[in-house]
Amino acid sequence: MQLFKTPNIRFLKYKYIALGVTALIVLAGVLNITVFKGLKLGVDFGEGTLLRIMLRTPTTEGQIRDLLQTVGLGKSTVQKSGTSGREFQIRAMESNPTKPGEQDQLEAHEALADKIIDALRGDDGAAERARGLVDLNGLDEKSLTALLEEGFPGSGPEAAQKILSYRNQTGIIDDYQVLDGLGIKPEIQTFLKDKTYLGKLTVLSRETVGPQVGADLRRKAVQATIWSLLGMLVYIALRFKLEYGVAAIFTLAQDVLITMSLYSFTNREINLPIIAGILTIVGFSINDTIVIFDRVRENQKLLRGKPLEEVMNISLNQTLSRTIITSGTVFLTVGALFLFGGEVINDFAFLMLLGTIEGVYSTIYLSCPVVLFWQRWFGTKKGGRR
Amino acid sequence: MKKNLQWKVVLALAVVGLAIFLAYPYNDQKIKRGLDLKGGIHLVLQVMTDDSINIETDQEIARVEDLLKKNNITFEKVTKAGLGRIAIAGTLADQEGKTRDLFDEYTRDWDYTFTGDRANLVLKPLVVQFLRDQSVSQAKETIENRVNGLGVAEPLIQRQGNDKIIVELPGVDDPDRVKELIKVTAVLEWKLVKAGPAADEETLLAPYNGQVPEDAEVLKGDPKRGQGGFYLVDRVAVVTGKDLRTIRRTTDEWNNPAVAFSLNSDGGARFEQVTGANVGKQIAIILDNKVQSAPLVEQRIARSTGGIIRGRFTAQEADDLVVVLKAGALPAGIKYLEERTIGPALGADSIRQGLVAGLVAVLAVMTFMIVFYKLSGINAVVALVLNIVILFGALAYFRAALTLPGIAGIILAIGMAVDANVLIFERMKEELALGKGVISAVSQGFSRAFSAIFDSNLTTIISAVFLFQFGTGPIRGYAVTLTISLAANLFTAVFVSHLLFDLTVKKSAKKLSI
Repeated sequence: MQLFKTPNIRFLKYKYIALGVTALIVLAGVLNITVFKGLKLGVDFGEGTLLRIMLRTPTTEGQIRDLLQTVGLGKSTVQKSGTSGREFQIRAMESNPTKPGEQDQLEAHEALADKIIDALRGDDGAAERARGLVDLNGLDEKSLTALLEEGFPGSGPEAAQKILSYRNQTGIIDDYQVLDGLGIKPEIQTFLKDKTYLGKLTVLSRETVGPQVGADLRRKAVQATIWSLLGMLVYIALRFKLEYGVAAIFTLAQDVLITMSLYSFTNREINLPIIAGILTIVGFSINDTIVIFDRVRENQKLLRGKPLEEVMNISLNQTLSRTIITSGTVFLTVGALFLFGGEVINDFAFLMLLGTIEGVYSTIYLSCPVVLFWQRWFGTKKGGRR
Repeated sequence: MKKNLQWKVVLALAVVGLAIFLAYPYNDQKIKRGLDLKGGIHLVLQVMTDDSINIETDQEIARVEDLLKKNNITFEKVTKAGLGRIAIAGTLADQEGKTRDLFDEYTRDWDYTFTGDRANLVLKPLVVQFLRDQSVSQAKETIENRVNGLGVAEPLIQRQGNDKIIVELPGVDDPDRVKELIKVTAVLEWKLVKAGPAADEETLLAPYNGQVPEDAEVLKGDPKRGQGGFYLVDRVAVVTGKDLRTIRRTTDEWNNPAVAFSLNSDGGARFEQVTGANVGKQIAIILDNKVQSAPLVEQRIARSTGGIIRGRFTAQEADDLVVVLKAGALPAGIKYLEERTIGPALGADSIRQGLVAGLVAVLAVMTFMIVFYKLSGINAVVALVLNIVILFGALAYFRAALTLPGIAGIILAIGMAVDANVLIFERMKEELALGKGVISAVSQGFSRAFSAIFDSNLTTIISAVFLFQFGTGPIRGYAVTLTISLAANLFTAVFVSHLLFDLTVKKSAKKLSI
């Protein structure tokens, strides 16, 4: 199958327009990050507490926010995850933040998380607890096993395992009826109904980062990114020429900037896994850039008389079907992640979808022009030896 | 079959066979899942290394006082002048020479200076560094012992930087207990009670004119143990946790959980002597400067008897106390800098969704390759499958954990693996379009595309190596899977794929299915 015969698009004819557009996008992004919206740092880089909770009954972000308002945590960000209306992500924020000493910042964040959980629980289960019942949705493995073993020495622990594995899969037991489906004996069910109650909420995860670690992670992420960019610059400069390395770095810097801006525009928080997403986009982009540079390097030997711009156009056309097919398959992969990947991967996939397009664009309209201008300004010999 | 083809087939089979051997049968022990996928606790804690310097300074003050007294050097007093600093007031000028000689001989870890009537001792920087370092490694060891006492499978405890320790405990479901268990300093002391318990400090110190006597200190009772008041106790402990020989959980005469202990011969002798001399007085059992209980000494306690610690423990609290006492005290206090608790349900969800998404993605790409490149596409699919097999073999071999960012790394690698095949196939088409024969187009396709594949893979590997070097947790997980799959990619997409063409395309072939 052939995508097209021999395309002959004069890509670089539009280089000035393209550079102008790029400059505008980057400028808008930089302004947005620095002056307007700014980057929203997640707990990994910005310290604080992130809670993921699951409720027995569906509710809305607004209702949760109202509830938090009453305990002075109205500024907390509440985000629904999934489609069930029962899972939420909450980043704790105090309405009137008090500045605790460096020493107890982490404890202060933790206390906020406790406050949120208490507020959401309300007086749920208070009556039951007063009667000595325990929360079946909150019991840890050891206690549940002990409880059931006491009541049913033979079959108790096995039933406890079934219940735990169900809870580990789904997060919360919303009704005692599910125990039927798990094949738990009726007498054990009656026993459980007698001794336990179903709490309205479970905490799926709870992450707290203190100020010191937040700053540390930030510094390390920046350091890691800069060093890996430098590493690429050196390698490309050695394998190709200095200007190709420089062009690649320009391209990558743009990739990073634009993806960060996308995050800023769409109000998404920057967390550690997102760094992996940004690096992946950079990875695809550099791959793309090198494939084109490689073709230019090869064509410079074959087409000695031609000016560099011409050679680049030919190379871009020759590799066009590959560019489209590869980007297409990447799009396919990331599209699948976006549709089926679930909450945590979803953000990352969204970033990748836009990043793939951006990566191809930056190769054609940033990498190539930079090399071109560099040679014009610094008068590197036409052709090139390699 | 040509001879060098035979060798290539053997090599390819060997590598793939090895990978399968390493990763098969696929299970949790072979391919570890990171905390984000499995659930568990991730803690970063800082060791307050200043504590160890303070302890050293306190001990040195006692030593110096002793040294000066023994050698009949008059001085006013020896005081702590800061972290690792001691000031000696009232050292007479005519004693300086003698004092210098003493310091030269006995306080080698300290630098000293004389200014007028005073002498200053400063702990040498190298020693400070050594003490700090030692306190971190001791803390790490103690935490390891405690965690092992908990019976967590595959805990990860490692040092980070100068004074930090990372603790990762997969699959633990009661984080608060673990955090408490790790954090308690667990310094256990028995001290004679001078007065108390009293409701507040004033009442306590009333018989002493409101002043704390020099050889005593005021301690609070532990509310958790039902001890509300204040105690005035001796500064010097009779015995400490270091003197314990055995320790286990038991029950007291009312069948409540308690902790039984026995002392080693040295501590037992001291205990016997002190209890003998103080019958009728109280002796306080103190954990981390909080009085747990203060039983009355009814009679001399023989060195071999031992005793029990009681204080309204729950069974679990008693168990935990045994664990921490067995593991020993922390040499310095610790502070949590980062705490992450991931429940198993969250990880289970991520895995299920990630798996579905991953499968859909891989199948979609494979279908596309076969539809678009026909039989050659099958080559690419085989290369892709082998790539994934090798990746899992390598993950099992390096015992690297699979994390969510790690999966992102795999996706990038799969994308680049497909790209390698696309590059080669498109090149073959170009060569065919130029009118070259099938065999020559195949070999030209591979050789011409090679430099681009090699350079792009290597560039990305270089960046991944730097990411691994400078990055933290999740970024490292990403770097690891990416590096492994890219290295595997150079092998499968280029070497194995070429081999497959060599094996399947006949010399006389007029057309290539591409």
